[in-house]
Amino acid sequence: MRMVNFRTPYNAGRLALALAVVLLLGFFLLPTQLQSVFQEVGSPIGWVVSWPLRAVSGIQGGTAGFWNSYVALQGAQEENVELRKELEQLKGQNGQLREAAAATERLTALLEFKGQEMFPMVAAQVIGRDTGNWYRAIILNKGESDGFRPDMGVVTPAGVVGRIVKTTAATSVVLLVTDPNNAIAGLVQRTRDEGIIEGTTSGMARLKYIPLLSTARPGDRVVTSGLVGGFPRGLSIGTITRIDKSEGALFQSAELTPEVDAGLVEEVLVIQSPNLQTESERSGTPKGKRKP
Amino acid sequence: MKTLVIAGLIAGLIPIQSVLLPHVAVWGVTPDLGLIVVCLAGFFGGELEGLLVGLAVGWIMGLFSAADLTVGMSTKGIVGYLAGVAGRHVVYMTPVVLILGLLAASCVSSLLNALMLTLNEQQNVWWALKTVILPQAVFDGVVGGAFYWLAWSRLNIERLVSEYRT
Repeated sequence: MRMVNFRTPYNAGRLALALAVVLLLGFFLLPTQLQSVFQEVGSPIGWVVSWPLRAVSGIQGGTAGFWNSYVALQGAQEENVELRKELEQLKGQNGQLREAAAATERLTALLEFKGQEMFPMVAAQVIGRDTGNWYRAIILNKGESDGFRPDMGVVTPAGVVGRIVKTTAATSVVLLVTDPNNAIAGLVQRTRDEGIIEGTTSGMARLKYIPLLSTARPGDRVVTSGLVGGFPRGLSIGTITRIDKSEGALFQSAELTPEVDAGLVEEVLVIQSPNLQTESERSGTPKGKRKP
Repeated sequence: MKTLVIAGLIAGLIPIQSVLLPHVAVWGVTPDLGLIVVCLAGFFGGELEGLLVGLAVGWIMGLFSAADLTVGMSTKGIVGYLAGVAGRHVVYMTPVVLILGLLAASCVSSLLNALMLTLNEQQNVWWALKTVILPQAVFDGVVGGAFYWLAWSRLNIERLVSEYRT
């Protein structure tokens, strides 16, 4: 059997040990400062690396598009029939909702309510997934140079996708609503009970801190409450599938099925909400925080 | 020249890791190509090179992940350094030794990650061990072993190693 000799000189080893100790001490003693420094310095490097990332993503997107458009058409006929039926139902619902919207508009004008401020949105493409296995995150093809900043909300027309946690000059990392480390303020649309939505390890979401007296039930829709973070009120997050009420608990919680399947998202809209700090203004880390 | 090759390798690593590997994920877990590169750099180049490549790979990969930058840099740096120490003490390397080494390195790296990142209360150490650490370690070992076997059986690895070191 052929084998390889791997002997190396010792001086480099001592230098490496000294360097490793100094750097590790730095990382443990000044984590926040070093995080900011490396993030800032890494921003232009992120721009450089974004080019091969976009190229590979483009090739992969083209291949997937060809496959979906021409090869994987089995069952398209049945799906078409189902979708036509659904369209008919939705047309009926749409008529009713138009009536309700018109009535709301009249009443709003009558009561002189101030309409909710709509933030500008910028479209971006998903070009990749998180490079690690610890977080559910996607990478967008736009970053700081397009005005994206950490904590901005990311949505599709169907609902909430997540929020930006890290940016470079040309890319942004979006932590998905299904990640257990994400937290978004939400409310049950029917009962107006507020809570905090976080992801679960099974890829679903959970609405926590619902008052015990709430009448929320499976089938209720959950939307953003607009109280905290980069989301305006009323964006769809998911539908309740189960209510969990444990004995002696102060609150109940609900399991949600998210409206958006983040695994299939290709284009998103980033809500450019004002009054969010820039990367350099942030004193803390974007997402992964250290244990105290 | 070597620096340029490593820089190019890291730049090429990111698209493969974030665009292509999610398609071959098993139970949502993908192999960590960065860790494999860091281990091989440590084995071949020694402690200093392992450490520097580990820090660089951890940093660049951290820019495209929601995880803390310094955690990724620390864990990959430590693993690169340890791979260098192991490379100095393991005189003769075979694919089996490399696979076992990668398994151990992946477990150490992932455990450090799990301990250093403030993960949600749902993501305790048992969950991490079951769903990320062990599957990823197996994946890393298999992929790294396959690379090495390919280089060992198809290419002249002794010449490659001596060229890499000069």
